[in-house]
Amino acid sequence: MLTRRNSFKAAAGLAATATLGSARLAHAADKAIKVGLNMSFTGADAESAVRVANGAIMAFDDANATNAIKGYKFEYVKFDDGTATAGQYDPAQAATNARKMVSDKGFVAALGPQMSGAGKAMAPILSEGNLAIITPSSTNPDITNPKFAAQYRPAGKAIYFRTVATDAFQGPNMANFMAKTLKIKSVYILDDSGAYGVGLADAFQGQIEKLNVKVLGRDRLDPKAADYAAVLTKIKALGPDALYYGGVGQAGVKLVKQSYEIIPNVIKAGGDGVYSTDILKGAGFPSFDGWYATQASPHVTEDKAAEVFTTRFFQRFGSHPDDYAVTCYTGAQVIIQAAKNLVAAGKEPTRDAMQAAIQTVSLKGSLIGTVEFDENGDMKNKVISVFQIKKNAAKPLDDTESQFKYIGVAPMA
Amino acid sequence: MTAGDLFLQQAINGLSLGAMYSLLALGFTLVYGIMELINFAHFNVFMVGSMIAMLTLQAFGLSGQQTILTGLPLVGVLLVGFAVSMVGCGLIGVAIERFLLRPLRSVKGPAAMITTIGVSYILFNLVLLTLGTDSKNFPNPLPSISWEIGGAVLRMREVLIWVIALVLMGGLTYFVTYTKLGKAMRATAQDPEAARMMGVEVDQVVMSAFFLGSALAGASGMIFGLYYNLAKVDIGFAAGLRAFTAAVLGGIGNVPGAMLGGVLIGLIESGSGQLIGAAWSDVVIFGILVLVLVFRPAGLLGRLAPNKS
Repeated sequence: MLTRRNSFKAAAGLAATATLGSARLAHAADKAIKVGLNMSFTGADAESAVRVANGAIMAFDDANATNAIKGYKFEYVKFDDGTATAGQYDPAQAATNARKMVSDKGFVAALGPQMSGAGKAMAPILSEGNLAIITPSSTNPDITNPKFAAQYRPAGKAIYFRTVATDAFQGPNMANFMAKTLKIKSVYILDDSGAYGVGLADAFQGQIEKLNVKVLGRDRLDPKAADYAAVLTKIKALGPDALYYGGVGQAGVKLVKQSYEIIPNVIKAGGDGVYSTDILKGAGFPSFDGWYATQASPHVTEDKAAEVFTTRFFQRFGSHPDDYAVTCYTGAQVIIQAAKNLVAAGKEPTRDAMQAAIQTVSLKGSLIGTVEFDENGDMKNKVISVFQIKKNAAKPLDDTESQFKYIGVAPMA
Repeated sequence: MTAGDLFLQQAINGLSLGAMYSLLALGFTLVYGIMELINFAHFNVFMVGSMIAMLTLQAFGLSGQQTILTGLPLVGVLLVGFAVSMVGCGLIGVAIERFLLRPLRSVKGPAAMITTIGVSYILFNLVLLTLGTDSKNFPNPLPSISWEIGGAVLRMREVLIWVIALVLMGGLTYFVTYTKLGKAMRATAQDPEAARMMGVEVDQVVMSAFFLGSALAGASGMIFGLYYNLAKVDIGFAAGLRAFTAAVLGGIGNVPGAMLGGVLIGLIESGSGQLIGAAWSDVVIFGILVLVLVFRPAGLLGRLAPNKS
């Protein structure tokens, strides 16, 4: 028997199906392949979120326009894991989004999140629902580490795939670069207390200690505090050759500004969290000049092959893509390829089928080379690119492509 | 850097932080002294103050990139910046009191306090929706003059902040001690009913407390911007909580106590950043607060209020 509330739900459900049904009449033959896009559209990372999501949108719109899979159309639904209170991604919101996607059987795959802290919250929920997600930029290694499988994929199968390398490479490879190329002898390490920042700084520290570089100290910044003068004064007194920062823009902007005042002559470096418009615009010239940053993907947006992509992206969205817009575009291509493989084999692209298809996909000739995943969901091909901020006055301040100068590939750990 | 230089440098850092906390703490203390109300809206009045100051300086054509001014233009721009942010925040404070808190004044219980929390979030979201969440470059018109004292560096902006904070606190002390309205404020704080019987206009006194407290928040918003070259929608919570702690540490309701508490919290924050680790600052600050309250429940300079019934 229906309770009152259930009967109301049933009626609402009927109404919803009715409206959907009429909307579908327009392209009656096409079935939907629904994909969730979970990014941090609110808060410090909002701008990069839009850029990254646009990468996916471009791929799906291309597929729909060219009728890449006969009888199917891709549909994407945006989810925002940022909240105003957190000022950046909020793991609780990310978990809520994951639950929403899992509980709607229509979703067969997802893209995102940008941030590892969000990924850690989402992975166990997605695992229970067997919903595969491809992250374009979250680089914390724990999520795909088999050691933590009980925590992040309790249902067993790999569901957290990446089109980036992890901090297990980003931190150590940068440590190699700083010890071998920049020839530093001592370093002070800071993190921003987030999942990504702590993991990255740990991975960096592990490798730099092996290279006989002296770690003069390690401290943790509160991203909501305004003042880092105390810890920077301490660092100044210790006099290290370099400062390594594991973290994102919220603490990063303040660190960049204040370290320029207090320790101007120390080499400063961070991970892909420093590679952001927030650092460029929020910290501003001259404080950001000379900072090193990395990206956990091959640098392609200056390649010839990528020129077409960059031009189309700019024409379409009015902004330049960064490397994580490219990895998100590639992530979407992986989903498209997986669905194509299934349909070609005469199977329905259901959620379970999509997970299996993504696991075994081999996407050749993408902007970041061949994309294949190992049994944990990590990319088989791992490259860390090093950049340095050098102000280019001719280009807008928030144009990461112009303000971050590509230095090269960091040596493998 | 020798240990002595390091100590001096951390003291300079701590005093600059303390100047900001003190000005903010005064706002909590003024309102609490008169109404026994903790005004949580103060957190974000401060944040709005830094935004107003930023927009004012930008109106003078100063962008986030260094545009150094000297002499009269610098003094003029700073004066206008402080005046606009202080008056702007003062008026916001008055509006909060007049339209949202006065109707609740006779209501017992936490209704008024909860209202101030609500107002705090309204201010936060208004700024969020109009100006966005990104870190903004606060205009930096100060010339980068600094002096070396041994191995420690004293920058002009630090001296400027101390001077401004001292002037404002001196002015407030003078106002509260010697002017008629100031005396009325103190009288109301001691015993509102007796004050009213002696002909004190309580509405006027409460409104003045809100105006003054919020104007000081505006000033510290401007100082925050000049010091960190940063304005952001979420700066109110961390700074506000520490300033509130400073007010309690000094003895909430006590004007010199708020100033002392602010400076102490600033020094503790930089000291613990040096000695224990930046990640532990909050633990140390609140640990010391708890210790002080165990032995002096009314705070360092506060007296336990007589039972007002």
